[in-house]
Order: sequence, then C-alpha cells, then structure tokens
Amino acid sequence: MTDDRAVRWILRVYLVLIFAFVFAPILASVVFSFNSQRFPTIPLGHFSLQWYDAILNDPDVWAAVRTSALVSVSTAVLATFIGFCTAYTDYRYGFRFKGAYLALALLPPTIPLIILALAMLAWLSKIGASGHVWSIIIAHTVLCAPFAMAVIRLRLQQMDRNLEPAAWNLGASEWRTMGQVVIPFTKPAIISALCLTAAVSFDEFAVAWFISGLNKTVPVMILEIVTGNIDPQVNAIGTFVFITSITLVVIAQILIMTREDKSGAQT
Amino acid sequence: MADAAHGAGLAKKGGGRPDGYALFFRLPMVFWQLAFFIGPLVFMIAMSFFLVKNYRMVEAFEFANWAKMLGRGYFWDSFLLTLGMATLSTLVVTALAFPASYALAFKVSPTVRRWAIFFLIVPFFTSYLVRTFSWYVILAESGVINAILGFIGLGPYIMLNTKFGTIVGYMTLTLPLVVILQTLSLAHVDRSLIEAAHNLGCGRLRTVFTVIVPLAKVGLIIGAVFCFILSFGDFVSPYYLGGSKPPTLPILIIDTTKSGQQWPRAAVVAIMMMITLLTVAFTAIALAYRRRVK
Amino acid sequence: MSDALVVFDDVVKRFGDFVAVKRMNLEVRRGEFLALMGPSGCGKTTTLRMLAGLELPTEGDITLEGKSLLQVKPHERDTPMVWQSLALFPFLDVRENVEFGLKMRGVAAEERRRRAEDWLERLGIGEFAARNVQQLSGGQRQRVALARALVTEPQILLLDEPLSALDAHLVIRMQGVLTRLQRELGITFVYVTHSQSEAFAMADRVVIMSDGEIAQIGAPRDIYRAPANRFVAEFVGRNNILSGKVARLEGDDAVVATPAGDLGVTVAEDRKVAVGENVSFVIAADLVRLSQAPPGDGNAVPVSLISEEFIGSVVTLFLESADGTEFKAQLQERELADIDLKQAKELYLSWPAASGHLLAGST
Repeated sequence: MTDDRAVRWILRVYLVLIFAFVFAPILASVVFSFNSQRFPTIPLGHFSLQWYDAILNDPDVWAAVRTSALVSVSTAVLATFIGFCTAYTDYRYGFRFKGAYLALALLPPTIPLIILALAMLAWLSKIGASGHVWSIIIAHTVLCAPFAMAVIRLRLQQMDRNLEPAAWNLGASEWRTMGQVVIPFTKPAIISALCLTAAVSFDEFAVAWFISGLNKTVPVMILEIVTGNIDPQVNAIGTFVFITSITLVVIAQILIMTREDKSGAQT
Repeated sequence: MADAAHGAGLAKKGGGRPDGYALFFRLPMVFWQLAFFIGPLVFMIAMSFFLVKNYRMVEAFEFANWAKMLGRGYFWDSFLLTLGMATLSTLVVTALAFPASYALAFKVSPTVRRWAIFFLIVPFFTSYLVRTFSWYVILAESGVINAILGFIGLGPYIMLNTKFGTIVGYMTLTLPLVVILQTLSLAHVDRSLIEAAHNLGCGRLRTVFTVIVPLAKVGLIIGAVFCFILSFGDFVSPYYLGGSKPPTLPILIIDTTKSGQQWPRAAVVAIMMMITLLTVAFTAIALAYRRRVK
Repeated sequence: MSDALVVFDDVVKRFGDFVAVKRMNLEVRRGEFLALMGPSGCGKTTTLRMLAGLELPTEGDITLEGKSLLQVKPHERDTPMVWQSLALFPFLDVRENVEFGLKMRGVAAEERRRRAEDWLERLGIGEFAARNVQQLSGGQRQRVALARALVTEPQILLLDEPLSALDAHLVIRMQGVLTRLQRELGITFVYVTHSQSEAFAMADRVVIMSDGEIAQIGAPRDIYRAPANRFVAEFVGRNNILSGKVARLEGDDAVVATPAGDLGVTVAEDRKVAVGENVSFVIAADLVRLSQAPPGDGNAVPVSLISEEFIGSVVTLFLESADGTEFKAQLQERELADIDLKQAKELYLSWPAASGHLLAGST
C-alpha cells in the first residue's frame, strides 16, 4: 500500500514537471517583458515598462496589429462559415464520395505548414493573388476551416435527430429551420469556432511570412525581429500575443465545457 | 435499417438529387479547398518540373530540378538529419509523455483530468514562435538555466545551437498534443482488464507493458505520428535553437525559396517531405491496426 | 368515404432493399382515436412519418380530405406530431416552444403569447411558462410537447410513442389526459405504440401491423375476442392457441383433434371448414372456468397447476395438460374461493364451444 502511494506521488510530481515545462516559456516571456535587462537572466533586473513603451510608440507594431486583427477576424468568419456548412452536411446528409468529401475537409492540418506556405506562395503568385492582406485571409481560411468544422460537428452530434423534423412539422421551411433551430442550437460552438480559428490565424507565421508581401502580421514581425537580434520588445509583443490568443482559446473552451454540462443535464 | 432512415430526417440518402438547400451547405468547402488547397499542392508538383531562367520561372517539363537536388550530397545530409531528428523527437516525446498520460488517465480524478487537458490545449493555440524565443533566452549561455546552475557551481553548459536545443523546441511544439492523445487513448482502456491482470499476479510495471500499452496502441501510435509530422515540418526550432548547421529540410525550403527564386527546387524538397511523411504515417497506422486485429 | 380524413392508397415504402411498408390501404376516420400497434420494425413509425411528410411513399398515394399529400412539403402540412424524444427546442423556454408553430404561421406576438398561455393553462403547466424546458420533469415536458402540437388547433394529431419514456404511474395519468383531450377537441389522433395496454386503453380502433403489413384493424374488444390470425393472437397475448385437424362437424361446431384432446369450436357464418383441415383456434384466458369435478358439457381438459400470479383481484394461472400443452387462465379471485389449488388432485379447465374463435388460414 505504501508502495502504491509512493508511485502515486512520484507520478504527480512528474506531472507537475511536465506542466512546468509546457508553461515555462509562456511565463518566462511575460516575466521578461516587465524586466529592465536587455538580456534577461537570474537575478532579474528591476520592474520596467520600457519595452511596452517601445512597442506602443512603434508605428510598425500598430500596423502589424491592425493587419493581424483584420486577417484573424476575416479568417474566423470565413473559416467558421465553411466549417459550419461542412459539419452540417456531414450531420445531415449521406451521399456517394462522402469519405472523400470529409478527407478534403479535414486534411489541411496534417500537411506541414512550410509545405503549404511554398505551395500557396507559388499558386497565389500564379493566379495573381499574392502579396495582399486578403491572400493571407484566403490561406488562413484553408488552415482554420477544419478546426471550425470539428468543433461545430461535435455540437451537432448532441442535437436530437428529430429537432429539425419537429420544426418542419410545426410549419418551418428548411431555411427557416436553419435560422430558428440549427443555428441557435449550435451557437455556443459557432462562437467557440470563431475564437479558436481567430487564435490559430493570429498565431500563424509560416504561411503568412511567405505570402504576406509587405503586409506583415504580428507573428511575421516577431519572426523578422528575432532573426536579426535579441530584442526584449519581442517579449512585450509576445505577451500581448499570448494574452490575445489565450483569451480567445479560454473563451472557446469555456463555451465547449458549459455546453457539455448543459447537455448532460438534458439527458 | 429503418432506424438509419429515420435518422436522416427527410430521406435524402441515395437516389435523390441534392436540392439547392443541400448544395448551399455542401459546396463552399469543396470550392474553397479545391481552389486554395488542392490547387496549390497540385501546382507545386507541376512546378517541380519548371525551369528558372534569369530569375524567372518558365513553365516546362524537365527533370533538371530533381536531378540537381537529389544529386547533391547536402540534400541527403539535410534529409537524413531531418529524418533522424524527427525520429529522435518522436521517441523522446513519446517516452516522456507516457508517464504523464498514465498518471492523468489512471491516477487522478476525472475533474483533474478534464482541467489538465484544458490546460494542455491552451498552448497548442498560442504563439509557438514566442515560446521558442523564450527558450532561446532561458537556454542561452548567460541565460536563466546557466545562471541557476552557476549558483551551485555548475556550467555554463552550451545548450543553444545543439541537437538538445532542437529537441527542446520540438517538445514545446508536440508534447502537449501527444500527452492529450495518449491520455485519451489510455482513458479508454477497460479497467476491468487491468484488474484482471493484477488478479492474475501480473506486477504493476508488467501490467503497463503487457496489458495497457497493447490495448492503447492505436492511440499511442497516432500520437507518435502527429509528433513526427510536426517535428519533421518545423523550421523554427532547428533554426533558432538548433543553429541550422546543417539545415533541416524545412529550412532548406526557406533558403531555396527566399534566395534566388529557386521555387522549383524548393518544390522538389517539399515533395520529398510529403512522400516521406505519407510513407511514415501509413506504415505506422497500418502497423497499429494490423497488430491490434491479431 | 365522407368520414375518412386520411386515406392510404396502396402505399409502399422501401429503404433500399428493405420494404418498410408493403402495399398499405388504410382509412383514418374523422375524429377517431386510431392506434398503430406492432413490434419494432413493423412499419408503424414509418407510416406515421409518411403522413407527416418526413418520408415519401415509394409507391401509392396518401390523401388528406381527398387531396393528395405527395407534393406537399412537411412544413406545409397541418399534421403536428408529438415525438418519442419530445424534440423540444432546448434553447427556447416553455412558452417559446409552444409559440413556435404560431410564429411560423405569422401570428402576431401578442396573440401568440395569449394562445400559448391558454394551452399551457389547459394542460396544467401554466406556472412553468418562463422555465427552461430542461428544468421540467418528464411528465411536464410531455405536456409542453402536447401544447406545442395542439396550439395551432389542427384537425389531426400524430403521436409517436409519446409515453414510452415515462414511469408506469405517469403513463396511466397521461393516458387519461390524452383520451380526455381527444374527446373534448373532437380531432383525430393517430397514435403509434408498441404497448398493447396503451393502445387498448385509449383507441377507438387499433391497427395491428406486422412486417410492413396490416394484420388486423378493429375495435380493441374485437381484436381481443376475435384475432384475425395467429400473429395477432400471439401479439395480443392472454390467449390460448390450439391447433389440430378437424375431426368432424357437429352443427355449428367443428371438433378439432388437438394434442390436449378433441375440442369443439363454433364456426362463424362466414367461415368454411372441412373435415381433415388443419386449423388453429384461440380461447381467451378470461373465458375459461376451472373446477375440481369434470363439468357436464362443453370442452373440458384435465390440467395440473404450474404457477400462479396475483394482480389485484385477478389471478392468472399457468396450467398444463397431460400431453404438455400449456394453458393460461385468468380468473377473479372469488371464482377460486371453493377450489383448494394446493391440495386438489384433479383440475378441469372448461369452456363452451362458442367462446373459442377459429383463426384464419389453415394452420
């Protein structure tokens, strides 16, 4: 029995170490961003907002934030729309080649980003769509739609198969049922998908770097800063990026979790 | 059979032609992915046969790029390095993740498990680039770790621009995902089988390797495959933490693309990467399922 | 013809190779409570869904008030349904659920609200109007589903096993609510169930289905007393089914040589039997008598007791004749007052030939 307890405690300590490893870089980045030293180490320097001052006064940073915001919001809307349509099709219909249809929908995350970046750069240049802000939006929508599809499909899984027929039966056409029943039912998942896809787009740098031309997003700017030299501004920008994406992901997850609780109470 | 039809609502399975409503939801993804996913990949394959003359790409069907890239020693150096590092990363991450996943699956309450998975999903959607840069500062010769080791009279150790640095970077990218996938597959193992093994006098460690691992095999292998794909395709860690000497294949793609407009040669590298990934993924998954059926 | 509200005319429904409904002809009368009953997979739910437009017949036609429904989309039909899963909208509160059908018909908000609240009152759940549907008990949600379907004042209501998820005591109560509603409103109910007690307790007519075909249509009493065939006799239960060759004819009766002995059964006027024919007949468990001495006339079979089952004042006895044929007898407790079941050496089961009922077919 004591043996059992020892194993249990060793495993718990190990678990804490793993989580420490996962969160160390995130915490370090936040701590360093408030640290006065140019190259942070132990012992830490004094508390300072100088790096935040620096980025707030840098017009390039503001331009990148604007580009990133535009890209991630547009991507989120497009990817969530496509993801919703795909998830609904999978939920409602059976047809020939459905396997191929789903493979096409879910394949992009399995292809390394660097390969997609090259392929998209070449293809978008070929069709004359490279180097614009909307080029990034197009490419990010390809990457993000599968995430949206997965989140919304999980929610639809919890929808009573008779809910749509019940609405038709009460006089709602298919389109009206979509608006009055399917969309209200999936709303938490739709918001969740919007947040997740916005976060993915907001963090993506490989594809954006290849095809953005002069329209740098925030991660692309970070990539270019760190390629040059060590600049603690990156920590300040990084903290801002973390806070943005973590907020989006946490909102998304809370929506996913609450809806699970609700449906649990339902049955 | 009747039930399947009930489930479909209005019977639209087979036979019936999809109406406008059905097509409205079916077509956007098909259109988008054909135009901006399949299109680029197919074009990239075609591009690998194009020629570059005076810094301009000329459409052609020549094997010059293939001959040039595959005939060079440095390509194969990169190839073997990338393959080796991705394999090493897969083994290290799988081994390091397993005890944590085991603990999450069997030694904590479901609530703790749910929160743990919640916290493991968060980094997956946060900037990998900034996390890698953070490691750069932590692992540097005058960085945090060496400063701490200095207090107890050790070091400094060189950790940047080494294979160790690269692996730390790969772990940052893949460890949370692998722990999640392993935990989910372990949590599905039937507990009564484990108790049965204990009843039959099978020791703890033996139970883990003769009962639990075989039962959770498919999930464990899928986790490893994802780890391999992500490590194989990552350019940030080998570049910033590994020093890029020699470059891995993703870095080779960047160098070839960004300098001298040699896109067709970069395409050759990309295609070689795809072929490798597909081979590894299919082999691993085929193996996982074949053994399981036995 | 005038009192037929819905007519199924040669309706066939196939799903791939599976035939769910085989050439069905059925009239649903205006204002009746019709139950479709049968084991699962018999086609009863498919029949109901075709009436609601959720499935289209592969062949044949369905008419409502003489007009074909084939081209009418589900949302254009006025055939509201109460679903087995209830299918309440979880994101709407109770009143909004009930208002749904009115909203779809463009009824103004104020009028909608008034009518929804009227119906909720009428079904005794007015106080829950603002509740989330997930906070209600099973019985309350049942009433919400009913109110939602009835608020548009349809001439027909479809019910798909609506009580199957309720506890036994609630089922009895809801049966009362449903029959009362149906009488008061005077509208047609088409009620799908696999439960004989529900169907027989509520319906004016019962349609028994088997393998996509109608096995028998009739009032509960007729089906019980005179099952048309072996399937119905077995499905309805509480029947003793006996088979054998017709040995001879005596007046209106045929004497059948069964393993349990020669037994007489009255042949109905429209039925012809010949000596030597193989026939089956039923004798309902509640039409037999039990005695310790052999009765003077009618059919009598010496039996021994296997087990007994008390439900209130009714006793069901499971008996066996010398050849091993099993019999069920359903008796009032007082009928057994002068029989000592435990001690009795000889027991006789008896019934008049006229109580037996010959099944159709020659087996």
